[in-house]
Amino acid sequence: MIEMFKEWYDARHEYAKEWKKKTGGKVLGYFCTYVPEEIVYAAGVLPVRILGSHEPQNVTEPHIFAMFCPFCRDVLAQGLQGRYDYLDGIMIAQSCLHVRQAYTSWDLHIPSEFSYYLPMPHHVQSKRAVPFTRAEFEIFKTRLEEWTAKKITDDDLRRGIETVNRDRQMMKQVYELRKADEVPLTGLEAMQMVVSSQMTDKTEHARVVEDALKELKGRTIGRPTGTRLMLLGSENDDVEFIGMVESLDATIVQDDHCTGTRYFWDEVENGGDPMDAIAARYVKRTPCPTKDWPERKRIGRILSFAKEWDVAGAIIIQQKFCDPHEIDIPAIRKALEDAGLKVLFLELDVTVPVGQFKIRTEAFLEMLAEDDLF
Amino acid sequence: MAKYKTEPLRLWNKAKELRLKFYENYAKAHEKGGLRWAGGAWTLDAIPRGLGDDVWSITSEPYAASIAFNKKFSLRCLEATERAGYARDLCSYMRNYWGSIILDEYAFPEFSKKWPKPDFIFQDHICCSHSKWYQVVCDLEPGVPMFSVDVGCAPAMKADGETFKYVPMPQHAIDYVVGQCLDGIDFLVKVTGREYNDELLRKAIYNHMRSTALWAKVCELQKTIPAPLEEKTLYSLYVLGVLAKASQWCADFYEELLADVEDRVDRGIAAIAEERARLISDTQPPWGFLKVFRYLEEFGCISIGSLYTFGLVGQWELKEDGTWGAKTFPASVDDLPKDREGMLAEYIKFEINKPEWQHFYHPALKSAMMIKIARDWKLDGVMLHYNRGCEGLTIGIAENRLALQKAGFPVMTFEGNMGDEREFDEARTMARIDAFMETLSLNKIEV
Amino acid sequence: MITAGVDCGSKNVRVVIVKDGEIMAQSMAPAGMDTANAAQEAYDKALAEAGIAAGDIEKVVATGAGKNEPGFKDDDVTEVGADARGAVHLFPDARTVIDVGAEEGRAIKIDAQGKVIDFAINEKCAAGAGAFTESMARALEVKLEELGPLSLESTQAIPMNAQCAVFAESEVVTLVHKKTSKQDMARAIHDAIADRITSMVRRVGIEEKIVLIGGVSYNIGFVKSLEEDLETKVLIPERPEFVGALGAALVAASK
Repeated sequence: MIEMFKEWYDARHEYAKEWKKKTGGKVLGYFCTYVPEEIVYAAGVLPVRILGSHEPQNVTEPHIFAMFCPFCRDVLAQGLQGRYDYLDGIMIAQSCLHVRQAYTSWDLHIPSEFSYYLPMPHHVQSKRAVPFTRAEFEIFKTRLEEWTAKKITDDDLRRGIETVNRDRQMMKQVYELRKADEVPLTGLEAMQMVVSSQMTDKTEHARVVEDALKELKGRTIGRPTGTRLMLLGSENDDVEFIGMVESLDATIVQDDHCTGTRYFWDEVENGGDPMDAIAARYVKRTPCPTKDWPERKRIGRILSFAKEWDVAGAIIIQQKFCDPHEIDIPAIRKALEDAGLKVLFLELDVTVPVGQFKIRTEAFLEMLAEDDLF
Repeated sequence: MAKYKTEPLRLWNKAKELRLKFYENYAKAHEKGGLRWAGGAWTLDAIPRGLGDDVWSITSEPYAASIAFNKKFSLRCLEATERAGYARDLCSYMRNYWGSIILDEYAFPEFSKKWPKPDFIFQDHICCSHSKWYQVVCDLEPGVPMFSVDVGCAPAMKADGETFKYVPMPQHAIDYVVGQCLDGIDFLVKVTGREYNDELLRKAIYNHMRSTALWAKVCELQKTIPAPLEEKTLYSLYVLGVLAKASQWCADFYEELLADVEDRVDRGIAAIAEERARLISDTQPPWGFLKVFRYLEEFGCISIGSLYTFGLVGQWELKEDGTWGAKTFPASVDDLPKDREGMLAEYIKFEINKPEWQHFYHPALKSAMMIKIARDWKLDGVMLHYNRGCEGLTIGIAENRLALQKAGFPVMTFEGNMGDEREFDEARTMARIDAFMETLSLNKIEV
Repeated sequence: MITAGVDCGSKNVRVVIVKDGEIMAQSMAPAGMDTANAAQEAYDKALAEAGIAAGDIEKVVATGAGKNEPGFKDDDVTEVGADARGAVHLFPDARTVIDVGAEEGRAIKIDAQGKVIDFAINEKCAAGAGAFTESMARALEVKLEELGPLSLESTQAIPMNAQCAVFAESEVVTLVHKKTSKQDMARAIHDAIADRITSMVRRVGIEEKIVLIGGVSYNIGFVKSLEEDLETKVLIPERPEFVGALGAALVAASK
């Protein structure tokens, strides 16, 4: 079952096209995980996250100044190259300046019947944020209703919450299994599980995760877990890099990035007013650093993950030029080191000099091994 | 024979003195029992003014620009920040500012050798780096309390190709920002132990409206051929609004300045004697290399301003006749509501229109404003600074370039950094200007 | 009317002497540390080749990064202006000129009258293609002129970073460790440079006909990668590295 996630990840476009054919529904591409997918599901629309392809390209230079992160350029390139031509709409929830440009340039140059900018607040630690977010989500809901010509009821919203929550709960159970001394799946497999959840119908995805859970109970990764690592960063679906790390007698057992726990960990508290609950979830979720102020709440989450999943060290992979993450790195590094954890910092571009990073990762693992000896 | 008559700006020295006084007041605030606070150029600075008339701020971006202007000190600041583990591609204002704290040195040693630590931080947030900047300051200066207001929640305009119109701020957005402001006042009272004076706040809000609208009026006069001021001079003048737009002294100065520039226009006084072609620039300039603007003048080319100089401080509106002009503000302070929440709402609704906040939502908004300037201020071209030092103002700049070109305006770009001269290549930039001038069929004027 | 153009590049100085639109002589000298001397040397060589004396030349126009250096110049023109002029002279229906030199790459858009309407010069991150190919040839332990033919024998495309020369170099090291064939590595290098150059050309817009000039035009591997990216053929003059100097000489004739 677990192979399904990689298949979906590799064939994301085919999946979405097939889904459209099967259901006759609309597909909405989104640029950032602050988009409230519960509402999109309530509208009967399939939300899919637009990600890059980690290939060199030459089409974005006229649109995005080169000092913005490689991810946003890679994402825009997908659109300019027509790889997402099946999308019926696009949207972004306000987050960092980088990926915002992928959205705005897409909006300018690639025609789409629906394009929506959701002003997600930055001051999520303010008590004023939930009412504002709720009001914005209501407006978004109305726009969706106009687009799909279908009313979204509270029951629809509750179903949307249920669908997304269910997938979250299933994935969390898989993450729980990664606490074991010998983990049943690799970090790469876990990452592909999470990213594929951003690309598929969550009802179907949750079912596969549920089946995978059964399979995982008796599974091994065919080698010892080795050094337990945590992966921290922004958007990090760099398969080649993660595969390289896990070829060195090490396994990634936990993470904090938006193709990992930052995307799915927090659930919507279903029960009361559904829109209130959805708004509260997005305001209170583990923040992207751009919204993580004045306090750095993310650090608390990282430290408790590190402890509970018993990690020996953390690899911070940084998208070149990503300021919000870069600003936090000295503080995160310090917090981890104060907690006795060593940190390897690597700066990633669209493609990665794997050989060089391998040497540095090996040195890092050696250093961790020495810690074990003494 | 020169084409136009020029003369120095009468208020030049006064502007210089006011700027220095600002940095002196901040440094010496404690000597007179006053308070010091820190916040960015866009912070809602009327709010701390309710704490008393002896409350002085340091405005982080212009302070960092002052550092950048002093190349030696700037390099030391940048290197100190890098040694502390911060990445070299971060906002260069931020890195200069942090460096000044880390080195414990003030950029104005005549007022204080050591960095004058603020009593509190009151910041705004629309750029990703705004609140993060001060979060790090709190790491570097433990114990300084911080509050920040998110203003990035409601675009004030809609663009349709080359045109734009203003849209009203939705009520929930007003509630969100005003609510944070109210919380901010509670914060200020708590951390300073002072009483809060709503009447002072009201006066400050009114001065804010005066300053920002008067500045826009000054910029409107730049439509005149020959332009009465060039951009290098505008930098020395707009900075006062950046530093203290809600102060009485700033509003008064802009009133005086407006009269002075009107007089220049009436008498046909030009900024440069040989004005032949008009440009605007964009984003903060590389502060250590303002000679770029002097170089343009050798070709008879003038930068008459930018959306940046017009709109960082200035408040604008679309007039009935379709022109873009200074925003209308109440005739007297008495026209503002008396209750705290009411006056804050007026303040926020006024400020949310800031031109320099719009591009954070979509480059089309900025493109439309730039095209408007290009047409109404009668430009021959545009010079965009691809500023590696500021993500906040370069967001969408490549799309602005495409839109301006589509609208028929030649565009030149050059890469640099407002606050890190290591990223500016002077020779290559001048070579680019040469090539751009060639495309505009401008030769150097023989002297 | 006899005029001369002097192109003072970062690596070489090139001189072209033109008589009524016809090239009389072209010569070059390495720039070294003293551009003024090198310019004089190249100029003397060209005069000798043309069989004329300095006094026969009516006007000298210099271009290139060191355009203020030659003591014998009468005027100067920017590289953008010189490239465009030279390219249009050789190919009157050129609309896009791409100049790829040692340290700088540029793309120029020209209207039907041969007037420059827009130009782009590579940004900091995408540093010189010429210097990059040289250092890559050293890394692969092949002669520079072998790099192009080598890449034509490649059997697979390997993605390599297109944005940053420093990153690209470390990726080459990775490929060396992976025992990738030299042919494939050479192609990866040319693909990466072609991507960077194409990115720049897209800023001014790709419009035919496209003329490729500058020393790197001799590299057939690069040209193939570039044509694939641009999805069209490029026109390359016989002596692509002399087009700037030619343009300067033509400017001299019309000034």
